[in-house]
Amino acid sequence: MLKFILKKLAMMIPMLVVISLVVFLGLRSTGIDPLTFMVPPEVQSQSPEIVEQLREDLGLNDPLLVQYFRWLGNLLKGDLGLTNKGEDIAGIIADRLPYTLELSLYAMLFSSIIGIGIGIISAIRQNGIVDYIGRVLAVLGQAVPQFLVGILMIWIFSIKMGIFPAANRVSPDATNAFVDAFMHLFLPVTTLTIGMVAVLMRYARNTMLDVLNSDYIKTARSKGIPEWKVYLKHGFRNAMKPVLVILMFRIPALIGGSVVIESVFSYPGIGTSMTNAITNMDYNLVLVITLIIAAVMLVASFMVDVLNALLDPRVRLGE
Amino acid sequence: MGKNFDSKEIILNVENLNTTFVSDQKKIRIVKNVSFQLKRGKALAVVGESGCGKSVTMNSIMRFLGRNAIIKADSIQYNALRDGKVTEYHIEKIDKPHGPEMRALRGPEMSMVFQDPMSSLNPVYKVGDQVAEGLLQHNKGMTKAQAREKVLEMFRKLGIPDPEERIDCYPHQFSGGMKQRVVIAIAMICNPELIICDEPTTALDVTIQAQIMELLKDMQVKDGKSIILITHNMGLVAEMADEVCVMYMGRVVEFGSLEDVFDHTSHPYTQALLRSVPVLGLADGQKLETIPGATPNPADLKGGCEFADRCPFAEDKCRAKDIPMFELSPGHRVRCLKYSSFPLAEGEPAAAEVK
Repeated sequence: MLKFILKKLAMMIPMLVVISLVVFLGLRSTGIDPLTFMVPPEVQSQSPEIVEQLREDLGLNDPLLVQYFRWLGNLLKGDLGLTNKGEDIAGIIADRLPYTLELSLYAMLFSSIIGIGIGIISAIRQNGIVDYIGRVLAVLGQAVPQFLVGILMIWIFSIKMGIFPAANRVSPDATNAFVDAFMHLFLPVTTLTIGMVAVLMRYARNTMLDVLNSDYIKTARSKGIPEWKVYLKHGFRNAMKPVLVILMFRIPALIGGSVVIESVFSYPGIGTSMTNAITNMDYNLVLVITLIIAAVMLVASFMVDVLNALLDPRVRLGE
Repeated sequence: MGKNFDSKEIILNVENLNTTFVSDQKKIRIVKNVSFQLKRGKALAVVGESGCGKSVTMNSIMRFLGRNAIIKADSIQYNALRDGKVTEYHIEKIDKPHGPEMRALRGPEMSMVFQDPMSSLNPVYKVGDQVAEGLLQHNKGMTKAQAREKVLEMFRKLGIPDPEERIDCYPHQFSGGMKQRVVIAIAMICNPELIICDEPTTALDVTIQAQIMELLKDMQVKDGKSIILITHNMGLVAEMADEVCVMYMGRVVEFGSLEDVFDHTSHPYTQALLRSVPVLGLADGQKLETIPGATPNPADLKGGCEFADRCPFAEDKCRAKDIPMFELSPGHRVRCLKYSSFPLAEGEPAAAEVK
């Protein structure tokens, strides 16, 4: 098992390098001059020699690969570089990533508990009341776009009822950090959760139904063990393998993809930074955030492998 | 229904079992007025082509069917014999298919060996633990170590090599035949009296088939187990069975001892079935005989004999109403009007058709 984990971990390093190279070259090959947004237009038109000097100083005239390795070297030393405005990227990430993680992990936690729970109950009591309600909710949750849910949430709970704040993560006048976090997180987490619950519920229900129809469930019943054991010990563990894959691969989607939700709720996470970075053509920042999302993706797929191996001896012993 | 049998001799008595499936608001009766008895310590073979309801019958008795199945029977009586004392269980009166009463029977009293060993074992648990599970369930207070010892003993008995090592393996590390031995171990571990084998060798290759059948025969002969063997392999029937129950489209069409059914084959369907058994050394150009026509869709059946459309002897009266059972000789019953001069064996005609 340890060997399996180490092998998977070792494989992540070359993958990260390749991803960073592709992202780096990809961004550069757009043909947009990084200096366009860095230097004010009047300086660019009046004194092009300053621009050229800057280009030389920043090493932008070097071959792309040289630039890449210089950037990679800095990255490894912990220097993430500066934004167009000269801010430290490491600082921005350190500021904002925790907020996004907080948002996504809560959404993950609640949606997996609710989604898998309802899904399993729907499968066990197929065509029962939970199943019917669940199916309607699943269609609604998938059909209604998340930003709309978010806007509706703000409209109902913030504007009409005034219970929850509509934006930001921290109130300047907060007295209790926990209450403040809860108030700010409630709406965006709920919005993200609704979307994910819909997906997970359907998925958990279908895989559980499949498993419950399999022969080994009948074998389990033939031993005379109680039904809850049949469902949990024999059904649940087998049904969870594909559900975990979906769940794990939602993590990068949540971190990179909560862009919309973060914008709707003006939430100071990495998603908002990403949108800003793109509109400002902030090369370095886009690069770093993309790389973070890619790294999260790799970690997620690593976790899928490990969890699958833990759950299924065929994976574990088939090394 | 009056009790007209000795519950010491008869281990399982099934009377007028009807199983109906509901799908899309439509009810289709799959098992129709099935009655049979299994003698203690004997092997009963249930034969018939695919879809004739033999598995559904057994799953109805074990109560393994899903929520969409309606099971009705005048009697499904299981008689346990322990230390000379008979305990009667009336399965038809048990409400919950997976409730405590039914669960108490599964394992220590009756168990089942399934068709496909590849999918009958849970892929994520060690085989030893899967066998021990039933043991621990039915023997409160038994430690894991004791259970393990019992499992090892069972593995040795079933001829699984290196049991000490194999007990901690996962199902995917076993071959098909070994997996089926594990499935049999699961069925046997609580020492049940009645074992229902649902085509236990269909998924295995021929040499392994013989080994598995030998195991089952041993259990019957040496340990005095009562066995119901579902199969469509007539060779196995001839080798294993004491009595044979032939089913067609959800009905028992012929029932009798092995000699009755094989040597005095009476129902046209059984005759056709036996003629279509492949034999080695078929002459050049000689074709294997098949039964003309196809099995009808159970939803389209009109009443009368289900086999009439494929039967060379069919007459108009065969299609008129349900055919009763006639008794040709003691214990040999046939559902065919050819034998209408014989005494009626069962209180037919059948219960009202389910719409």
